[in-house]
Amino acid sequence: MKVLVPVKRVIDYNVKVRVKADGSGVDLANVKMSMNPFDEIAVEEAIRLREKGAATEIVAVSIGVKQSQETLRTALAMGADRAILIVATEDVHQDIEPLAVAKLLKAVIDEEQPELVLCGKQAIDNDMNATGQMLSALLGWSQATFASEVRIEDGNAVVTREVDGGLQTIKAKLPAIVSVDLRLNEPRYASLPNIMKAKKKPLEEKTPADYGVDVAPRLEVVSTTEPAERAAGIMVGSVDELIGKLKEAGAL
Amino acid sequence: MDGAMTSGVILEGLLERAGAALSPVEALLEKAKNALRSTVSEGDRVSGALLEQNQSAAHGLAWLATYVEALRQMHAWGERLTEQGRLSELEQLLLQIGFGEYLAQIVGGIPMNQGEIFRLSDLGLSSDDLRASVAGELIARGNTQSARTRLAELLVERGAEITPGATGLDDELEMIREQFRRYTLDRIDPHAHDWHLKDELIPMEIIDELAEMGVFGLTIPEEHGGLGLSKASMCVVSEELSRGYIGVGSLGTRSEIAAELILCGGTDAQKAQWLPRIASAEILPTAVFTEPNTGSDLGSLRTRAVKEGKDYRVTGNKTWITHAARTHVMTLLARTDPGSTDHRGLSMFLAEKTPGTDDDPFPTEGMTGGEIEVLGYRGMKEYELAFDNFQVKGENLLGGEEGRGFKQLMETFESARIQTAARAIGVAQSALDVSLQYAQDRKQFGKSLIAFPRVSGKLAMMAVEIMIARQLTYFSAWEKDHGQRCDLEAGMAKLLGARVAWAAADNGLQIHGGNGFALEYRISRILCDARILNIFEGAAEIQAQVIARRLLG
Repeated sequence: MKVLVPVKRVIDYNVKVRVKADGSGVDLANVKMSMNPFDEIAVEEAIRLREKGAATEIVAVSIGVKQSQETLRTALAMGADRAILIVATEDVHQDIEPLAVAKLLKAVIDEEQPELVLCGKQAIDNDMNATGQMLSALLGWSQATFASEVRIEDGNAVVTREVDGGLQTIKAKLPAIVSVDLRLNEPRYASLPNIMKAKKKPLEEKTPADYGVDVAPRLEVVSTTEPAERAAGIMVGSVDELIGKLKEAGAL
Repeated sequence: MDGAMTSGVILEGLLERAGAALSPVEALLEKAKNALRSTVSEGDRVSGALLEQNQSAAHGLAWLATYVEALRQMHAWGERLTEQGRLSELEQLLLQIGFGEYLAQIVGGIPMNQGEIFRLSDLGLSSDDLRASVAGELIARGNTQSARTRLAELLVERGAEITPGATGLDDELEMIREQFRRYTLDRIDPHAHDWHLKDELIPMEIIDELAEMGVFGLTIPEEHGGLGLSKASMCVVSEELSRGYIGVGSLGTRSEIAAELILCGGTDAQKAQWLPRIASAEILPTAVFTEPNTGSDLGSLRTRAVKEGKDYRVTGNKTWITHAARTHVMTLLARTDPGSTDHRGLSMFLAEKTPGTDDDPFPTEGMTGGEIEVLGYRGMKEYELAFDNFQVKGENLLGGEEGRGFKQLMETFESARIQTAARAIGVAQSALDVSLQYAQDRKQFGKSLIAFPRVSGKLAMMAVEIMIARQLTYFSAWEKDHGQRCDLEAGMAKLLGARVAWAAADNGLQIHGGNGFALEYRISRILCDARILNIFEGAAEIQAQVIARRLLG
């Protein structure tokens, strides 16, 4: 079984995000970028499926700026077999929208014919949580979102999902799209031998034009603002005083 | 140089200024060399007695040369980053403050340590020429309080980056760094302080994980079961592991020394027998050189190995043996020529032993040992060992020939010093890590400590000197990787790295105030760990002596 894993290059989760002066988005110039943490979990899960004998080949795909090849190298160093980079923009500040990404992925899938797509449930930069679902609709494939456990059984993906009420287990017929959640696994560290092997693994570079997909934005960012600063608190001496203050503030 | 616009503290044409400052400072070094040479020479030859009479000046020359090489490497780094488009404001400040400070120290006095300052006047030289040269502007305006304050702001702002400032290394090395940083944060950082306080051995589980990641076979060639990676990658790995805990960053040191010994001096059969097992960490080696009465003066050691039939019998005392109990093989230096009194009668053995347990640390016949309790650098434990008719197989004489032990050991010094310099950088970086965090979290007089210039200034200087030590270390590694002799630069990197680590730990503890003096805080351990760096792998004084001798030719 071939597994396709889309990975996105996003602002590193440790970075203190700064909004650009013109409010058009977040400043990404000279900022540390990393693989989207959910995508890392998807790569790890694909590798584990291969280790269990359920998967035979893992193809990582990234869509974005050319520097996304660093993200793909990381996926290869973790254990993916080969990679496809679709250079869709030169501007680090241009986010390729979920629909365009889903269309490009569909085109890649038409060529690659994987039986399973493992993707992160969302990217931590724009939190869209949409690409996997759109891809499923475009392909007409079954989908299972927010996976916290994945098993492959008799041509099905048996997926435990994290839902509001608890855990739900569903069976999705392959081929399928599975989007993964935080608690599915803990991604491994790439070992030195694997980092060295990654250099020799194939990384193919493409453009949206190769797939006939238009990636022009359809959404408009109206404004981006920092969260409001927390106002300073006050120290209270007793529970009575606390209740008094809460009433004063209209909170009780 | 976009940064010049934003901060206003960066000197115009910084990189060109730095480049131009190299030639007057190199000219000064030439003068200093000549001055010392004429003071300590008798006829054409350097006299050992005269050199000793002028030891402070000679060691000062070593430090001066170290500074000059450091500046050269900082400038080369600046040029590399410019090519990569990565010389942003933070890196410019590191470069400017580094040049400003080191040039100013050359003029005013180089601290070989807190108590011994080398001044140009010690060699009868004046600083007037340097001050009047193009370097003058950097000396006067390179390292200012506003530059340090701005640098500290940027250290906070770019705190998500693994190193404060781009290192200039390639993407693959930085990927290795990232993986090891993450591993360290996950598996080492949360436990290191506890291991130290309880004076425990690093768990075998960690050694197994590191083996799996390829740490022990890093630089061993592929045909011998290793990864055949560069010394530069060894630096990055050692740095990041030491950043978590010096003990973990030092696990590989003994494998590196043993592997280098065998690679340089071993027979083909010895290479085939030992190297793959060292690379996989199936066997852990320990280095057994020092004796109670021979530390730096290794040539005079007295442990003797006497041939009996095919094998040898070893008798004598050894001390400061790191990780002695749990290891499988000793690289053991002993005297095989009983008539000799210097390094010429020494041989190196690959002496097998049975790894001990807590209850029975030294189960092998003919060998006993006792633990030496230490301030820091724990995790592998230190021992003194006694050998009494301890048997070593004849086939385990390194290279199969007696009398070559000292020379074989010397061949490992370059690699060992590069690796130790990298450990020093890791320890220094960990001091900066915890102090930068503390300075933001701790509030006094209504603001974070980092808002006070004497605090931010300390942090800025740590970052600057760490980058200087990094560049000097990476340069030695680069030379080694390209087959060039690098004993001089490796020694300089180790000498400077150790001082930088101690300064970072000491100033980091100062930032912590009373809390830093509490065992509970990590900086207290980092201080203890940093202290060893100036002592082992060539004490600072020996290192300076060796450098001075080389400079005099």
